[in-house]
This record gives sequence, C-alpha cells and structure tokens, in this order.
Amino acid sequence: MMECSAEEEDTAGVVDMTTSEKVVDLLNQAALISTDEKLTLLKQVQELIINKDPSLLDNFLDEMIAFQTDKSIEVRKCIIGFIEEACKRDNELLIRLIANLNMLLKDESVNVVKKAILTLTQLYKVTLQWLVHSKSVSEMQEACWDLVTQMKGDVLALLDSENDGVRTHAIKFTESLIITLSPRTPDSDVPKRQEGDIRLDKVPRDHSYIRYDVLCEEGKSALEKLLNFMVHPAISSINLTTALGSLATIARQRPMFMSKVVQAYETLHANLPPTLAKSQVSSVRKNLKLHLVAVLKHPCSLEFQGQISTLLLDLGMPQSEINRSTPPVREQRKRTR
Amino acid sequence: MPSHPLRVAVVCSSNQNRSMEAHNILSKRGFDVRSFGTGSHVKLPGPAPDKPNVYDFKTTYEQMYNDLVRKDKELYTQNGILHMLDRNKRIKSKPERFQNCKDRFDLVVTCEERVYDQVLEDLNSREQETLQPVHVINVDIQDNHEEATLGAFLICELCQCIQHTDDMENEIDELIQEFEEKSNRPFLHTVCFY
Repeated sequence: MMECSAEEEDTAGVVDMTTSEKVVDLLNQAALISTDEKLTLLKQVQELIINKDPSLLDNFLDEMIAFQTDKSIEVRKCIIGFIEEACKRDNELLIRLIANLNMLLKDESVNVVKKAILTLTQLYKVTLQWLVHSKSVSEMQEACWDLVTQMKGDVLALLDSENDGVRTHAIKFTESLIITLSPRTPDSDVPKRQEGDIRLDKVPRDHSYIRYDVLCEEGKSALEKLLNFMVHPAISSINLTTALGSLATIARQRPMFMSKVVQAYETLHANLPPTLAKSQVSSVRKNLKLHLVAVLKHPCSLEFQGQISTLLLDLGMPQSEINRSTPPVREQRKRTR
Repeated sequence: MPSHPLRVAVVCSSNQNRSMEAHNILSKRGFDVRSFGTGSHVKLPGPAPDKPNVYDFKTTYEQMYNDLVRKDKELYTQNGILHMLDRNKRIKSKPERFQNCKDRFDLVVTCEERVYDQVLEDLNSREQETLQPVHVINVDIQDNHEEATLGAFLICELCQCIQHTDDMENEIDELIQEFEEKSNRPFLHTVCFY
C-alpha cells in the first residue's frame, strides 16, 4: 500500500548495524516520538522486515502490531497497511493477523474502518486462495476462514452504516466479493492485474471446509444485497454512482449477471431517488450513460442492446454514437448468415 | 480535518489558464496541488480564432514564451498570453496531461464539462487496484483571464471547506449543495476508484 511504502535511502544513515539491530533501533525510537516521525520510522521498519529481510518478519510482528492501539489515526492506518503487506508476503501470517484486522474493522475512527475495509477486500481473496491451495488442513486455518467469513458478513452489513463513506467502501467490497464468488467464463472481461485472482471456478468441490455451493450462494446473495441497496429511496448520489459503476464492472466481468444489471439500470432510470438535487440528477444520469456504454461495448450485450439503446437515447445520446459503441455481431453469426 | 493533507488536482484543457490560476492560488494556500490538461495538444490563442498556436505537452512554458515573442511580441503581450506563460513557468516547467499521470489524488477539480467527461473516461478506463476513492467535481469556468481568477478563488474556497471537514466523504454531498447555492452555478460530482 502506498501509505506504507518506504524508500530504502531513508535508512541509509544507519550504518554498521545488522538489519535486525536497525529494526530494534527504529522500533525503540518510534515508541517515543511524534506521529509524523513515527509514521516514517514504522514505514522504514515495514520496508526492512517485509522487503529487505523477510526472515525478520516473524520476530518483529508483535512489536509492530502493538502500534495498532496507537492514538493516532494515521499510525493505525499504517498498521493496517502493514498487516496487508505482511499477509501477502507470508500467507501463514493470516492466522495471526486476521484477528487484529478484525479489531481495526471495529475502530472508533471511520477513517480506520474504511482502510480496514479496503484491506479486507484484498485479504479476503488472499485467504481464499491460500486455503484452497494449502496442502495441509489445520484447525487454525479453518478458524481463520471462519473469522474471515464472519468479517465478510460484518462488512456487507456496513452497507447500512450511518456513514456515507463507510457505505461507499462497503459497496466496493461487495463488488469484489461478487466477482470472487462467481465463476469466470470465456466471455468474462479480465483486467490484467486480476488475471491470477482466485474466483469460484478455482475452488475445488471437495474441499474439507470451504464449500463451493455455499460460496456460490454467498456471491449471489451479495449481488441481491447490492441491488436492494441501490433502490433505497434515500441513497446518496455518491453511493448511487458507486453502485452503478460496480454493476458495470460485474456485468463485464461476470456476464451471467448482465441481465440483472441492465434491469437494475432500467429501474433506476425510471425511478431516480426523489432526494437527489437537480445537479446530482445530472451527475447520476451522466454516470448511468457512461456505465451503460461500458456494458453495451461488451460482446455479451447482444440480447440487451435494444433495452440499452432505449435508455441511452432517453439519456440524450445520439443514435450514431450508440451505434459506434455497439459491438459487431459475433463471428459465428456472420458465418451462419 | 482529514487525517492527511488533501491531494488535489485541478484540470482544464491545456493546463495554461484556468488550472494554472487555481494551481497558483492553491499552492500559495498550502495545498498539495498539481495541475493538468486533458486535451491531446496544448492550444494557445493565435493571430485569428482559426489559427491557434498548437504545442505538444512536451513543450516547456519557456519554449512557448520564446516562440510567441519571436512570432509577434506585441500581439501576445497585449492579449496577456506572454504574461500568463511567464506566470506558468514560475510554477512548473511544462504543462502536464492528466491521462499520463499515475499519481493518486483525493480530489480532482475540472473546469468544464468536456474536461470532466475526459477525466471520468480516463479514470474509469484504468484497472482498479486499491479501490481508494477519488472525488471528481466540475466547476464551469469560462476560459478567459477574469473568469479564471474568479474560478480559482471559488475552487480554493471549496478545497478549504473540504479540507476542514471532519469526515470528507460523509459531508461532501452537502457541502457541494451549499456551494452551488452560494455561487449560483451547478457542480457535477462523482466518485471514481483507483
């Protein structure tokens, strides 16, 4: 995470010390100084024990994690970034660190909670991938999965949070969860960065405690939650915008859900929330247009092209522009003509 | 106050007038600010409306300045272009294109709807990675010197208000509404994710 990336030059001043001694020195200093300097030192420690010499990670884990109760919000956020990087570096650490992330997910500061949601979005996938591929089965691993599953439920419940920004983050978590808990198909858009990501079709059907069918249902139910969230009459324009974008991503990466997405767009277009101000309506309509075009461009949009074109015309897009965004009829169709 | 200083980008078409005026004021007020253009080229007024001076984004403000002095010093002094380029080169060496910048911001303020659309198109075309939100707000500003100055003050006031919220994301909707009423102009607002 960018918050916790440190430049190696920062530590160049300390010479003639082993990395381990340097880490001890930095942690000792960090315990005593102001927040800004503390952040710099903790970032240096993170760089040293995650990237420079990961064999030290285990040794200094507790000392580093102790800062999760620091009174500074920025320090607590930095520790969340550390948890994410550490678990990505060594998946086994999930067993020790996931409970810490769980505590931070319930932090009194919304900024810490939001950062924890972003990290859980990443670590949910990391945990699932790790456990699915793990050769051994242990009670600790199973307990770790149970906790991650519980945290997943907690974040889904945050779709009803009183805080608008927390809800925004919960929507993005839900989007990622739906993608993970559904199968990639040959028509799926696959962002380069997510090529190797775990998803439902990579989950074996005979795993001892991770149940394919259960995950599949959880994915579908998360989509229902997102769709219900969108029709709430008092939804804020920002969260409506976020949800519209999430649905476009879902439709493109999981075309089996495209019909639900197009239907949701239609419903929304016909019933924009009455609470939106005039300029918010303009912003939402502009977003709807943008995301409809993104869905239209997908090769699976064929059977929805009529519905999407009608919506786009209603939103003021000229037919010529709609045609430009409509994908050509597929090869096999051309051949059968 | 948000827990870290707001990272702001101001964006117009050519990164010359509106975004640079705002860049200037915001940096004087201590903001972590950068400015950009979204156009494919940098365009400056020429001897006639259909004869603009066109540069690529690699050209420095200094080179443009020298080029225009050579072409018609009197014209470009009189219409204020040389003065603007002189101001710009004191802020940074050359215009930057928003689409080529991979740095992350908390807030992107655009100066016209077309630029807002281009920013959204660009941000939405990028692959999502951290899912960190970025708010994009459009404030319509006419592309002339006076409006750029007035617009820059409005953008600055908006950024100051956002910077001083306890919880930006929870309050930004309401804040923008208030600004719309106060300034009597509509703002477009959306959120994208890195």
